[in-house]
Amino acid sequence: MSRLYANSRGLLLPLLLIGAWEYLSRQGAAGAYAFVPLSAIGSALIELLVNGELLVNLLASLARTSTGLALGIFFGVLLGVLMALSAVANRLIGPLFHSIRQVPMLGWIPLIAMWFGNGEFSKVLIVSLAAFYPMVLNTYQGFSHIEQRYREVGQVLVLSRWQRFRHVLLPAALPSIATGVLHALAFAWVTAVGSELFLSSGAGLGNLMMNAEAGSRMEVIVLSVLCIGLCGYLMTLLFTLLSRHLLRWRNTR
Amino acid sequence: MRTQRLLSSLTWLISPTALLLIWAVVAEAGIFPRNLLVPPTQVWRTFEDLSASGELLEHLLNSLSRLGLGFAIGSLSGLAFGVFMALSKNVEIYCSPLFHTLRQIPSIALIPMFVLLFGIDETFKIIIVAKTAFFPVALAASEGVKGIPRSYFEVADVYRLRWPTFVREIALPAAAPPIITGFRISLTRAWVVLVATELLAADSGLGQMIEMSRQMLRIDVVMVGVVVTGVIGFVLDFSFRQLEQRMFRWQTR
Amino acid sequence: MNAIAQHAPLHSTPLQSGALHIRGLSKAYRIESHPLPVLHNINLDVRPGEFVSIVGASGCGKSTLLRLIVGLEADYEGDILLDGKRVVATSLERGIVFQDHRLFPWMTLSQNIALALKNHPLSAAEKNRLVAEHIALVNLEGFENAYPHQLSGGMAQRAAIARALINKPKVLLLDEPLGALDALTRVRLQHELQRIWVQQRCTVIMVTHDIEEALYLGDRVIVMDAHPGRIKHEINVDLPHPRDRSSSVLQGYKEQLLEELVGH
Repeated sequence: MSRLYANSRGLLLPLLLIGAWEYLSRQGAAGAYAFVPLSAIGSALIELLVNGELLVNLLASLARTSTGLALGIFFGVLLGVLMALSAVANRLIGPLFHSIRQVPMLGWIPLIAMWFGNGEFSKVLIVSLAAFYPMVLNTYQGFSHIEQRYREVGQVLVLSRWQRFRHVLLPAALPSIATGVLHALAFAWVTAVGSELFLSSGAGLGNLMMNAEAGSRMEVIVLSVLCIGLCGYLMTLLFTLLSRHLLRWRNTR
Repeated sequence: MRTQRLLSSLTWLISPTALLLIWAVVAEAGIFPRNLLVPPTQVWRTFEDLSASGELLEHLLNSLSRLGLGFAIGSLSGLAFGVFMALSKNVEIYCSPLFHTLRQIPSIALIPMFVLLFGIDETFKIIIVAKTAFFPVALAASEGVKGIPRSYFEVADVYRLRWPTFVREIALPAAAPPIITGFRISLTRAWVVLVATELLAADSGLGQMIEMSRQMLRIDVVMVGVVVTGVIGFVLDFSFRQLEQRMFRWQTR
Repeated sequence: MNAIAQHAPLHSTPLQSGALHIRGLSKAYRIESHPLPVLHNINLDVRPGEFVSIVGASGCGKSTLLRLIVGLEADYEGDILLDGKRVVATSLERGIVFQDHRLFPWMTLSQNIALALKNHPLSAAEKNRLVAEHIALVNLEGFENAYPHQLSGGMAQRAAIARALINKPKVLLLDEPLGALDALTRVRLQHELQRIWVQQRCTVIMVTHDIEEALYLGDRVIVMDAHPGRIKHEINVDLPHPRDRSSSVLQGYKEQLLEELVGH
């Protein structure tokens, strides 16, 4: 019982804020503009669900995120493994990678938009880049910090190169790779929305927001923002649970 | 032995130089239309023009002043809030669910909302920067203060140290490293978000310069802008890292 | 467990493999262009099926000696010959158990042991049978699907022993195998080790800092000195297995060894 009480105390402040919000929304026209009444948000939700707009845009954003994430993870792990296992590759590619990394993700958007246009390809490319960087870094970290003592067991058991990779190196690096995917996921989601805000063609939550901004429909914007936050949270939660299961051999005290 | 070491450190430069050369050759050969791929020499010339005319500096100062103001507001209030959250159980219970929920919402997603609320003048940009700067610092401050080992308090007790002495000599140095890291992360993130915001909705500033030139298809200016953004981000990050290293030499990493 | 007559292995199987000849072995590491001698002129002959214990203070290179024999370190002066062939790299003919069990945390017990058979030309069914056999050998039945972090230190070390033995190596190297365990577990595992070795009868070289352990298990105890590592003294333990810890002969040897190690 006391646990319920403790947890519910955390709800007090949000509820107060929502109450204040509702109050301010009734303070004349200016109030209603800035702080859309909750009822308006509610009816907007229903409206967007009924005409399918919310779902269509949500799915478009998710699709973009997934595609970009998959590509970013695939190439990111590839490069990370390469740089970690081959000193030559590290020497040659490393400096280039690190200097390009300095350019912030969102700085690439104008360049990519100029080179590849405003379409789907650009957006997915941007999302893949956002996922690519943390994957390379975390994969590299995972593979280059494998304890010497495990490698020695691989030597003593005279395992072939491929066997050593599959049974020793890869599992040992997996926790780092999982962390990388978690970061990549968060970045990919934010970048997908960001690219939609910027390259406003096609469907997506970002586009939904831009249109709502043009039409001064604050309630749609609020709705989208809540949606974005919620989805981001759920995705990271899902992945955390998944990795906890896959990595259950870890001794997490 | 020494020449060997010198040569080996030079190999780090191979790929960036190679890329630069390939870029120059391909651009001069005119394989791509001029407005898609400008040679590095052109980019450099544009950079010189922009700095000479003072245009670059003007945009830069606009952006940096917004960054400075927003970052100061956001990070300092984040610091205060984080410390409170760590010290007072009550504050934590009431505020933390809301804190963590709001933290999930990416700053970029708030741009349309804030534009509707505040218009595209200075206020909205500073608020977004402040929001971005707030959360990493608050989180780091809270964890830093909570991370001060219980034993430190006990030692202070045994030696009957007065509160100001304890804070200055023990608590602050103990909590400072993660807090400074939090400041660094928050600054670099705030910079990126600021430029992104200026890309979308501004009348001055580095991001706006990039967006304008993109619409005028002046890719050389876009490149100058993107590179400058990256360099500033790198400088900010690097300076903070140096600060961290210098201040925390005592840390056993 | 039947008492084994002391010299039995030598003429029971002619040309039994697992004979180790070490001649003039020296090894030095280079630290910043200064050579750091670790082993100096080691000469050692180990008969097939013999159990040799090596004791010595830390820094005398005992672990390095084992690593050279198993092939984890190359680049040495002198000769290490196993049945006449020079040791240059690792091989399944030489197995090793480390002080930290080094089971892979992401594999179950059976998978860890089965990994040693990865390149063995047996059928899957045969391999499973062998793995089950060795799990039974070290008394770990029931834990086939446990992950290493679910096992106690003693159990994990037993699993490591099973993994090292499953390839029927000619030489088994034990690098302070019981050093990370508490005293009670150690005694129990010494007993186990003795039982297992009597069954398997491969050549064993064990490094330990526990004199009693060295005497309880070894046919010969070799004392090493440090800086640089070299062989100082040798004791033949002419007692049948299984041995009695409290026997006066053993105690006598122990005093001898202590004298060698502590007094000069």
